[in-house]
Amino acid sequence: MASAASSAAAPFWRAAGMTYITYSNICASLVRSCLKEPHKTDALSREKVHFSVSKWAGGKPEKPTIRSDSPDA
Amino acid sequence: MAMAALRKEGRRILLSPNPAIAIRSAILSDELTAPLGARSISTQIVRNRMKSVKNIQKITKAMKMVAASKLRGVQVRTENSRGIWQPFTALLGDIPSVDVKKNVIVTISSDKGLCGGINSTSVKVSKALYKLTSGPEKEPQYVILGEKGKAQLVRDSKKSIALNITEIQKNPLNYTQVSVLADDILKNVEFDALRIVYNKFQSVVSFIPTVATVLSPEAVEKESEAGGKLGELDQYEIEGGDTKSEILQNLAEFQFSCVMFNAVLENACSELGARMSAMDSSSRNAGDMLDRLTLTYNRTRQASITTELIEIISGASALTG
Repeated sequence: MASAASSAAAPFWRAAGMTYITYSNICASLVRSCLKEPHKTDALSREKVHFSVSKWAGGKPEKPTIRSDSPDA
Repeated sequence: MAMAALRKEGRRILLSPNPAIAIRSAILSDELTAPLGARSISTQIVRNRMKSVKNIQKITKAMKMVAASKLRGVQVRTENSRGIWQPFTALLGDIPSVDVKKNVIVTISSDKGLCGGINSTSVKVSKALYKLTSGPEKEPQYVILGEKGKAQLVRDSKKSIALNITEIQKNPLNYTQVSVLADDILKNVEFDALRIVYNKFQSVVSFIPTVATVLSPEAVEKESEAGGKLGELDQYEIEGGDTKSEILQNLAEFQFSCVMFNAVLENACSELGARMSAMDSSSRNAGDMLDRLTLTYNRTRQASITTELIEIISGASALTG
């Protein structure tokens, strides 16, 4: 549907730099926000994200960045 | 080992209740000597030790209960998550013997300790993989999840670490979190093949270190030309306006995310199971230690009573006789 609507070039989200994972996460959070209470709060609790990433360059860790509570990019 | 030291100390105090020697041994081993100036043999040391061992036993028992209760919930979710990646393996295959230039080894370990040997086995397997996949112009890189893995790998593979991710288990594990993590890894690291090292949960006492291989879409294309399982991909008919390479790219990303989800859950399960058995053996050892200390305590107590009796009786007989 959406993929057929867009042209033979990359789908719009791929051209915008998103990966398939980000795309499916956004779709999933849209579906979750369509739910009614009380299922909505249950589903939203399954969406929480928290971890801390630190890139390493040449054997040294750089300052870690914490990604928290915002499930999508 | 500690018991032998205690027995030696007890004998030393019995044979030479000389305050000078008591002082010297006080300097050498501070808590293991009797209070200075004590005439009879003191049971104080043994009593203190027994109290601390009993406390340790209580704590380890509580940790075991906590791990057991958490394990029940995570185990159900892990078994349910196994169905997520199985279609991918049926379609794209899991070929650990694939030979590519850029390998990235994703090691999954725990943040907390006291969980037995699972982190060491994961690190051992990762290091072996590193040796296997390195060669001329092929430098594998590490992505480490969890503090314990980082602590072990930093010692000798500092230069090959690309990313380090911690604090994963702050909220209960869910797919969204793991997929955001997978997305971060995809964006930050270049790879032809990702090898995910984790401990698969077989049962409460057995955890098998496993490696799951996920190929990048270009590598899948190359392999499909080479034939084999991937060569049959062309037999599938593609609907919609996507090309085969696009679908392969979507599939590869999604496969990585699903395999990571299952791997993280399995590792969490294994961590809880390993912690349960480690704490269980720890409380059993504490119980054994307590038994032996009780025996020493009783012996010391009876010896001191006997000495006092001897003194009293000999004093009394010296007076009368």
